[in-house]
Amino acid sequence: MTERIRMLTELTLRGEMYVKPVKTEFDRADLFLPREQMESKRLCEYILNQEPKLTPHSLMTGFFNFDGSVVGDAFRRGGHKATQEAFKLFYLKPIDNLSTMEWQHATADYTKVLNKGIRGIIYDIEESLTCHNEPEQVEFLLALKRVANALIEWAHKCSERALTLSLTTQNEEYRNNLKKLSEALLRVPENAPETFYEAVLCIYVCFSADPDSVGTLDRYLYPFYKKDIGNGTLTKDEAAEYLQELFLMLQAATPISTDRFTRGGESHFCIGGYLPSGEDGFNELSRLIVESMIELPTYIPQLTLRWTKKTPREVFRFMLDCERKDPHKRIAFQNDEKRIKCYTEICDIPFEKAVSYTTVGCNEPAFLGAITGSNSKINFLRSMETVFHKKSKLIENNASFDDFFDIFKKELFSDLKRAYEYDNFYNKQRAQDINYISSLVFNDCIENAKSLTQGGGNTAIASPTCLGITNVIDSLCVVKQFVFDEKLFTMNELIAALKSDWQGYEDMRTLILKKGKFFGNDDDTSNYVAQKLYRELYDFLKDKTNLYGYHWLIGDLVGYNIHHKWFGEHTKATPDGRFSGDMLKFGIGQSEGRDREGLSALLNSIAKLDPSGIGCGSTVTNITLDEQLIKNDDNFEKTVDLLLTYFQNGGVHFQLTYVSKEDLICAQKTPDDYKHLRVRVSGFSDYFVKLNDAIQDDIIARTTQSR
Amino acid sequence: MKATIFDIERNSYVDGPGIRTTVFFKGCNLRCAWCHNPESQSGFSQMLFYKDKCTGCGKCKEKCPNNLESCELCGRCALYCPHDAREICGREYTVDEVMREILKDQSYYETSGGGVTFSGGECMLQIDFLEEILKECKSHGIHTAVDTAGHVPFEYFEKIIPYTDLFLYDVKSLDNEKHKEYTGATNELILANLEMLLKSGKAVWVRIPIIPNVNDTEEEMKKIKSFLCSYGYPPKVELLPYHAMGEHKYAALGKKAHAFSVPGKEKISRLRKLFE
Ligand code: SF4
Ligand code: SF4
Repeated sequence: MTERIRMLTELTLRGEMYVKPVKTEFDRADLFLPREQMESKRLCEYILNQEPKLTPHSLMTGFFNFDGSVVGDAFRRGGHKATQEAFKLFYLKPIDNLSTMEWQHATADYTKVLNKGIRGIIYDIEESLTCHNEPEQVEFLLALKRVANALIEWAHKCSERALTLSLTTQNEEYRNNLKKLSEALLRVPENAPETFYEAVLCIYVCFSADPDSVGTLDRYLYPFYKKDIGNGTLTKDEAAEYLQELFLMLQAATPISTDRFTRGGESHFCIGGYLPSGEDGFNELSRLIVESMIELPTYIPQLTLRWTKKTPREVFRFMLDCERKDPHKRIAFQNDEKRIKCYTEICDIPFEKAVSYTTVGCNEPAFLGAITGSNSKINFLRSMETVFHKKSKLIENNASFDDFFDIFKKELFSDLKRAYEYDNFYNKQRAQDINYISSLVFNDCIENAKSLTQGGGNTAIASPTCLGITNVIDSLCVVKQFVFDEKLFTMNELIAALKSDWQGYEDMRTLILKKGKFFGNDDDTSNYVAQKLYRELYDFLKDKTNLYGYHWLIGDLVGYNIHHKWFGEHTKATPDGRFSGDMLKFGIGQSEGRDREGLSALLNSIAKLDPSGIGCGSTVTNITLDEQLIKNDDNFEKTVDLLLTYFQNGGVHFQLTYVSKEDLICAQKTPDDYKHLRVRVSGFSDYFVKLNDAIQDDIIARTTQSR
Repeated sequence: MKATIFDIERNSYVDGPGIRTTVFFKGCNLRCAWCHNPESQSGFSQMLFYKDKCTGCGKCKEKCPNNLESCELCGRCALYCPHDAREICGREYTVDEVMREILKDQSYYETSGGGVTFSGGECMLQIDFLEEILKECKSHGIHTAVDTAGHVPFEYFEKIIPYTDLFLYDVKSLDNEKHKEYTGATNELILANLEMLLKSGKAVWVRIPIIPNVNDTEEEMKKIKSFLCSYGYPPKVELLPYHAMGEHKYAALGKKAHAFSVPGKEKISRLRKLFE
């Protein structure tokens, strides 16, 4: 790491690189203007009133933050009044114990600005103006054009500031850096960049338009990298330095005052994966990206390797090796085979588009230049509760497991339908806001003359996430095994046990917990039940889309919030041995100690679960390993093979935590001694002791696999 | 055909190359004082009772058909004990049953160069079953390993050599007196079998448990090494330091564990160097 980057890192980790918004006064008279004109006018005034963050060590600048006074970016949704209003009502607040609203992630299409610059985008707007004549469309496009011009002007302002600072900078190297920066900002992002440096700078500036994910970085930067390395104008070390400065900006974009500063989910992107040509995309730049990222002692961004059948074992091993050496746990793994199959076959998205996906936030998939269409949380177990506690008459006399399953299924699908309607409703709320700055850098919004928040993008997927899937599978297994196969108790006895919250039925519960064929043990009963459930989900969802035509998928991650606790608190006892009020399980990978057959069994159960890929929404698989399986070099090689086989067999995702259960329990008791212990939570990593108790308990309950 | 087996462990990293499934046969004809699997010694199913986990709730007695006065190993007490204080160890398996478990992880064996390991106890005591299942594994193209203490007639080896890719062979001590004292048997047959096995050219990994005050000296290791070297090639040698993790199982069987100390890391690495 160079001295310059070391200095910038220090400033970043002290929170000093955060770009403070500059408060801006607006002329009240503009309230009389039509909405789009007023909002975009203020937005432009706001942008041009900001001050870039510059230090004598800077070689990049131009990122800025919003303060809520104008309609800002779609990710942080500052100034998005209707969305904020909906959040007040539905964020962290389940309706009917079935659904809560969550924020949506997205990734801008940086290739637009890299290929044609903002000038080119303005031409696109002008062209679109010739195709649309509805007044609101025209107003929208004119507003976009205003904002695009403001961004160009903003870059020029940054250029001037850099030049000014260079005049007082003593160190010659730093002075030249600032001059170089100042000159570059006169050219980009207004025009298409010509060098690797300019390309990275473009992303740095344009990240303000959607401060979420940088998308498929190793792909769109590669032509610049190859060209400059090829003609000798760039060294590998310089490239690493530029990337590091970009990554530091991603870290600095989150204010240090929030707990999100140490959480990896704030900015997440992918490397590798299939290219439109069908080849594996992991290249020398991908490697440099990982190496330069983990060299930084930061938390953000985090990245995921997209694995394909063509990924060499060496690459997979390299990534796992980086993962085990990274104390900040920023690396996860994704299986392209499964995801691309889902996006092309179920969602009908062309291969060339499908391969542009990246995982954003915790683990929400989004195509380059698109949003993750929905992200509400659903209580999947509610339907099981309904069947046993409210509609038990219907199941008392079921002759077979299939009869029972059909009744349950009806309930589940009616819940899902309702939850998906709620999700549409959240989107409709959001659609009352018009977004100007993010819409510029996303796909199709200009061509469709429609804001990103109103479904301006053509291609996306909608993946609300379902909590309690494992509880449902385990409950179904219990009914099948004990009531129908082994006949150890009757349905009526089970109903009575649940209605009394297991009181007086302790033996039955013991029997279930000890002998239950739960998910994750790779046995015939639980595999059969789990696969049947996913097949039914596939049939139910295979041709259903949300209000914007984005295909519904299933996901299971929980995110930063403890929805599984809130849902669980109001869900009565269920056949899997759960007491009334116990929290739900999230993520299919953790069966919380119920997987007794070892890691390969758990991985087999997961890999076989969903051949259709309907579960390729926001899905995570957390695997907690004994650290000996990864730290010891001989074991490490076997673990590489183990995880590789898991992907070959069809697993969608995994991320690792390796600590001993004892460590975690100690950490809970004496947090001061374990301040540095980092764990994977649900698509993001964080310090264990900073997590709330419910999530800590969850992590402890996940089995630590020592074989 | 059936065998009494007390555990099938999937995803094992320690019983040979790659990722393996290890099948533990019940029954052994040695009685090594340091054995960490005392439940493997008897060839029959047994009840394990973990006293420290028992709260005295009485559930077992309530469920036992014989009021806990005599035991027919029906397993009901273990099933209903809310604290996992009781466990039935070992049951009979058919070849098909075991194969079903083995085949579940075949893809892992293939990626990692792993396979299946038959261990115990002394798996060779149930030689007919062993031969049968080894054949079955080979017909599926699975790499096979047999973990043995070697105290069986050499004809047993001859039966399975064609279907066994690797032997994991335990050598405890070349000192016959000590061997007899601590394992209950002399080492002549064991060493003679090993000699023939090595001469046959079959792949063998020798495994030496390192037991303080029994065989943890350089002198002993050197003896074992020179024994091995006199048969052509030096096979892979693994030193397995004694650990006390089996102690609670002695108590659960109502037996007393022999107290050994745990050898230090430094000593182990010094001894390991001798075989490099
Ligand atoms: S059921 Fe278990 S805990 Fe209760 S008395 Fe029997 S062995 Fe002890
Ligand atoms: S195994 Fe059966 S017979 Fe033996 S003690 Fe337990 S319940 Fe009684």
